Amino acid sequence: MDEKRLDELLADAVHTYRVPPEPPFDAIWSRVEEEAFAQATMRRTGPGWRSLAAAVAASLVVGVSVGRFSTHSAHPAAVTVVNASTVTPALTAAAQVAAAPYQRATEEFLGSTALLLAALPRDGSGDQASTLLPEQAAQLLTTTRLLLDSPISTNPRMKALLQDLELVLAQVARLQPRRENVTLTLISQTLEERELVPRIRSAVADLSTFDY
Amino acid sequence: MPRAAIATSFDPINDERSLIARAVIGDRTAARILYDAHAARVHRIAYRICGDAELAADLTQDVFVLVFRELPKFRGESAFATWVHRIAVTVSLNAMRKVKRLREREMDLDEARHHEQESGDIDPDLRDRLAAAIDALPDGLRVALVMHTIEGYTHAEVGNALGIAEGTSKARVFEARAKLRQSLGDFLEER
Repeated sequence: MDEKRLDELLADAVHTYRVPPEPPFDAIWSRVEEEAFAQATMRRTGPGWRSLAAAVAASLVVGVSVGRFSTHSAHPAAVTVVNASTVTPALTAAAQVAAAPYQRATEEFLGSTALLLAALPRDGSGDQASTLLPEQAAQLLTTTRLLLDSPISTNPRMKALLQDLELVLAQVARLQPRRENVTLTLISQTLEERELVPRIRSAVADLSTFDY
Repeated sequence: MPRAAIATSFDPINDERSLIARAVIGDRTAARILYDAHAARVHRIAYRICGDAELAADLTQDVFVLVFRELPKFRGESAFATWVHRIAVTVSLNAMRKVKRLREREMDLDEARHHEQESGDIDPDLRDRLAAAIDALPDGLRVALVMHTIEGYTHAEVGNALGIAEGTSKARVFEARAKLRQSLGDFLEER
């Protein structure tokens, strides 16, 4: 058999060799969504800083709940959740139904950022920053910039918060073992001076009232 | 990069980078758009490798579960599609290694006829023989041939997906073709 004949056969095979039937894309997606996203938020909290992460997330949830309750007393059940790893599926589902895409993305981003900031070693504690932290900060930094270009930034307070977080996340993303103490000091100062954690909590609570 | 420059070159709704970033932070709508963009090709390569509709659907599911779990690690060093297809090939080959018996499994003829498209004047027996000859190739040769010759991947993409050099992909396709020529030549001589 010569090359030309083989080429003809293989060209035919493009249309005849194991041509797949139409797959059940929607059914496959349902299983992907269930499996990938049910566990995704669990993985965001790496070993060694789960307790801190849980504490901050719980504090955010409580803060948000209190804020919502006080501003929406007619709808006490309308609680938005910032980190699904630490809350009930019912609350998560309620949040998903209620939140617009940008709101939800921003809430998740703020929750993840709060968790990351809480996971930073305390200045002078001698703890070593996980090597994952700069990686996670870099990812969050990308998200920050996307959010800065999104409708969420039409709110001046949110924009200012995102700009401050951009600065801190850039510092965390550049954390290097040998210069860690110096950088951590700078980060701690920025966090305190700009009151970032309280502002994150406040921003999450305010998200439902934003009008884009 | 100045923010204005980002804003003018960046579509926050449809841009793939934006979708990836949103999927990373748990936006299922963005994840679904990414899935819709790549699922058909992932399913096709999975099916071409395993030849079983149910298994191909399961593999497609496994691929995307892995894609979304590993998405935070995606650095953008290769195109997203390349990264996804690499995962698809790896998952499919691993599954095939676990389900060796499928290599011996003959494709259901009724199903095959149902999906085949009439094309030109190819002798149906010769077509069946070609399919059998491709199935009989060692995995390394078969996947390289299927990806490059049948699915249209470049040798660079095949190399990337299989973790081999581009030149190795070329060599594998060359060797696969030689084996097919041999096998089909024998068949034609027997007739």
